[in-house]
Amino acid sequence: MLVVLALGCRPERAKAPAGVLTLTAVEQQATWLRNFNPLMPGPRFPSQSGIYEPLAIYNSVTGEWVPWLATAWEWRDDANTLAFTIRQNVRFSDGQPLTAEDVAFTFELLRRYPALDQKAVWKFLDSVKAEGPGEVVLRFKRPFVPGFMALAHQPIVPKHVWKDVENPVTFTDPNPIATGPFTQVRLFQNQVYELGRNPDYWQPGKPAIDALRLPAFPGNDQANLALIDGELDWAANYVPAIDRVYVSRDANHHYWFPPMGTTVMLYANTTRAPFADANVRKALSMSIDRALMVDVAMSHYTVPADATALSALYERWRDPTAVKEGDWVRFDVAGANALLDAARLPRGPDGLRRGGDGKPLTFTIAVVNGWSDWVRAAQVIARGMKKIGITASVHLLDQGTWFQQLQRGDFELAVGWSIEGAAPYEFYRWLMSADTVLPVGTAAPGNWHRYASAAAAPVFTELEHTVDPAREKELEAQLQHLFVAEAPVIPLFPNPAWGEFNTTRFKGFPDAQHPWAALSPNKLPDVLLVLTALEPVTLPDGGAP
Amino acid sequence: MKYLLKRLGFYAVAAVFAVTLNFLLPRLMPGDAAGALFARFQGKLSPEALEALRRAIGISDGPLWKQYLDYLWGLAHGDLGTSIMQFPAPVLQVVWTGLGWTVLVAGLALVLGFVIGTALGILAGWRRGGLIDTVLPPLLAFVGAFPYFWLAMGLLFLFGFELKLVPLRHAYADGSTPAFTFSFIADVARHAALPIITVIIATLGGWMMGMRSAMVAVLGTEYLALGRAKGLSSLRLAWRYAARNALLPNVTSLGMSLGFVLGGSLLTEVVFSYPGLGFLMVQAVRSQDFPVMQGLFVMITFAVLTANALVDVVTTVIDPRTRSRES
Amino acid sequence: MAAASSGSRAQGFSLFALIRSNGRAQVGLGVLAMFTLVLVLGPLVCGDPSDYVAIPYLAPSWQHLFGTTGQGKDVLAQTIVGTRASLFNGLVVGLAVVAIGAAVGVTAGYFGGRIDSALSLLVNVLLVVPSLPLAIVIAAYLPPGPYQVALVLVATGWAWNARVLRVQTLSLRERDFVLASRVGGEPHWRIIFVEMLPNMGPILLTQLVGATTYAIGAEVGLEFLGLGDVGAVTWGSNLYWASNDQALLTGAWWTFVPTGTCIALVGFALSLLNTSVDEATNPALRVERSWRKYLGTVHVKPGMVTPVVGR
Repeated sequence: MLVVLALGCRPERAKAPAGVLTLTAVEQQATWLRNFNPLMPGPRFPSQSGIYEPLAIYNSVTGEWVPWLATAWEWRDDANTLAFTIRQNVRFSDGQPLTAEDVAFTFELLRRYPALDQKAVWKFLDSVKAEGPGEVVLRFKRPFVPGFMALAHQPIVPKHVWKDVENPVTFTDPNPIATGPFTQVRLFQNQVYELGRNPDYWQPGKPAIDALRLPAFPGNDQANLALIDGELDWAANYVPAIDRVYVSRDANHHYWFPPMGTTVMLYANTTRAPFADANVRKALSMSIDRALMVDVAMSHYTVPADATALSALYERWRDPTAVKEGDWVRFDVAGANALLDAARLPRGPDGLRRGGDGKPLTFTIAVVNGWSDWVRAAQVIARGMKKIGITASVHLLDQGTWFQQLQRGDFELAVGWSIEGAAPYEFYRWLMSADTVLPVGTAAPGNWHRYASAAAAPVFTELEHTVDPAREKELEAQLQHLFVAEAPVIPLFPNPAWGEFNTTRFKGFPDAQHPWAALSPNKLPDVLLVLTALEPVTLPDGGAP
Repeated sequence: MKYLLKRLGFYAVAAVFAVTLNFLLPRLMPGDAAGALFARFQGKLSPEALEALRRAIGISDGPLWKQYLDYLWGLAHGDLGTSIMQFPAPVLQVVWTGLGWTVLVAGLALVLGFVIGTALGILAGWRRGGLIDTVLPPLLAFVGAFPYFWLAMGLLFLFGFELKLVPLRHAYADGSTPAFTFSFIADVARHAALPIITVIIATLGGWMMGMRSAMVAVLGTEYLALGRAKGLSSLRLAWRYAARNALLPNVTSLGMSLGFVLGGSLLTEVVFSYPGLGFLMVQAVRSQDFPVMQGLFVMITFAVLTANALVDVVTTVIDPRTRSRES
Repeated sequence: MAAASSGSRAQGFSLFALIRSNGRAQVGLGVLAMFTLVLVLGPLVCGDPSDYVAIPYLAPSWQHLFGTTGQGKDVLAQTIVGTRASLFNGLVVGLAVVAIGAAVGVTAGYFGGRIDSALSLLVNVLLVVPSLPLAIVIAAYLPPGPYQVALVLVATGWAWNARVLRVQTLSLRERDFVLASRVGGEPHWRIIFVEMLPNMGPILLTQLVGATTYAIGAEVGLEFLGLGDVGAVTWGSNLYWASNDQALLTGAWWTFVPTGTCIALVGFALSLLNTSVDEATNPALRVERSWRKYLGTVHVKPGMVTPVVGR
């Protein structure tokens, strides 16, 4: 009977109704549970940037700040105060107007519940006050201009709803009251949910899409099957051999994988010999065949990192002279050997190099078990190090153990991500600033390799005060030169920002030819720019395809 | 009655064993459940926020016996802890979403596999040397030697992806509302068909051979020869005497094999994105969501124990011989 | 079912006689011999399985008989080296499982009384607790590595063997020669190792074959889920990587078909062997032969006692 039912009637493939955009984004989960709390990490997409909205959006492709719930902002008294002008005529989905009170209340919530303060803004904030309905004034403990991104990107919740929430940490916000383009939960099942458009959205006529539909996919395989099948209109999947597997199947299938994700690094623990020596780190770097790595680990979807380690996210900051100076990211076994000889790590009769204690150099590379791109990258690294007389073994750890060892500085070599910000400042601060170095044994949020650059310290400090764009650019270039000279970590490759789209039913996606925003729905809050720009395709007769 | 009570007592002991093991595992093993939480957010969270989160999830310390009592107390109230991946959802809520689907797939696969396999076994045992008896056993043994998930992958690719005969994932079409209508039930059947067929294919050989061996053993007994001598018809003999007597061992192993079928359906669910317990389990393993993993283990164990107890009750009622049987 | 049919075994079982007389044993052993040959000679012929030899997803050709993986590694080399690792692991786990099963089962059966009650309870509890979820949970907690999966499989796999061997011991214990030794005051270990275990030869052999089959299959399953050392080249990790590289999507069937077929062939061969041994030594199945005579049919394939339970 089952067979008859299953095979006898050919089922209609689940096509979404006209105007309903089907996508898969940040999370891959076996089952959806209703949770739209935007203040906690990991709510259902697009809670943080789509249901709720931030004050302003950093367009990571164009490098511009786009005013959103705030129309303008201003630094005052030597960058000790920041004032946001709140947009007029914005209403929450229950009809109540958005005011400066709501913004101040949101930041107040973060202060009262540290678990909500994901970016630790209260480390530098002193107070947040609404000055009338249209302005919010944030006073700083000390000038900290780079903190702007965390503040501007904070999703704003309505005071009149959240003041009655007993515990905002465990609140699941099942029926969000918000300002964004998609606020109506039309359907919520364990395997799919649908968010309808906000009929009173503050941008007139937008969004042009009727609803978003998000099926639950447990992993890449299933999401890719749906993508290739034409069921998904928009996705952020890793697809192998995408030209053959996806693009060639339909003229409406497109992708754009700009290398603007986090730069994947090889961290060498500088508290352990011989990694304290910059030349040893450079030699390790030169033993790595990054071209091969990009091929086997990343299916050629990205490019080898240059010596500034900056991904395409920081393209407008990149300093060409610094890139040119950084010759230690070239695959150069002879050069690496010469550096190691000079560093007094001689080869023994067996061809293996000896450390200061006379023992052969053997290291472990800590990688997360199951993160296959990293595992392969580590395998390539180990092969390269063999060529320069160093034995490295790939050490597979579960996520928790790996991260714990990384944070406590309890590793020799490790593959890991890097921390992103709007400007290189934030990125480099977590790689070489003295104030991010914590003692070995203490869990550090970044700077796991424990490196402090004395020369970079004054540059970091000056950047924290600097609001002048020209001066900022100069200082950011200085940081790049220092990074290239000191090689605090070994950059491998920038992660691509995965993004695929199908133009059969919707149009207006950014792509390599039209790079007006990031394509990947993973990119928050940039996704708001795309969500409000997409339109359904209409056929000449006015119907939907 | 005494036998039954003894069996039920045994299941209670097994339940306590599983629950205790479940409590001890995370405390004896080197893995760090809290660490997984940190890794999940990939540097997006400040350390202060993480510390506060960790407290909110309630990774508790204290003397072991007190933790154990707290754990049992929670368990008795259906509190299996808080999911890390789905914070702040309680584990029970996560597990609950998958229970019904797994019971459906594993249950149907078990019953159908049993019925078809047993029928084939009866046929093969009775008409030994016939077509069924010659062709099927080696074929089924060979097919059964493939890993479940491997068969599942192949079937999905062929029937789902290439031929587009069955849906690629999930338990029912996205967007349709669960209801007791024919179209919805048909939809569920379409989605469940391939997972169930995979498990049946893989287990059929076992049931068939088990039944066949039992048939052969029964056919060898003297009273059957007697029946034949009395001139009873072949069909009547096959069914009334041989099959009925041979059936019992197969029925008693039904409960036991539930654990096995469940194990198989767990792996199969993963391939078909079927939103059952197995799917949740693998998801929890991949994201290191230890509370969910353990909650699933407890839930699955309880399900298997309950099913076994039911089988025992049924066989005791049906067959008087079991009442005096030793375990 | 295996337990029910293992009440008493024929003495004087001979492996050679079995091979000579039983076609299925010949097929099974033949397949296994072929695999043994491959795993001994193969690594001499094929290259390093973790070498990046060509571009990814290359279809089978003369250069690469089985094509290349999604990472550009040689599938043939991976299959051969994977065969070695998986068969070796399977055998080791199988031996450990039978050894523990024998230790517990014989102890329980021989000493009886409270020891028997306690051990039997443990065995029965382990049998009724679903083993795959248990194995997954334990494996998830153990640190990843080469011993992780093996350890888990041994820990969760021995109960069935213990149960069968306990029944066997119970019947042997009452035999005259054992009773005589006991009355004669021989030490327990001597009675167990010298008098009883040799008499369990055939059943230990079928158990070893069965346990190895179980170990190979279960290891492949766990490794496919990404538990264990995915860096090592085994059948399970081959399939894990094939699925990770999305072999189905890219149509690269050659990355998973060879390994899957090898698993099935070995599993099939082992089960053939198991059946033949079972049949040669199990009186319950011998009944069938007399029945066959009675019916006068030819070409009877005696039944395979495939335990549905626990494996």
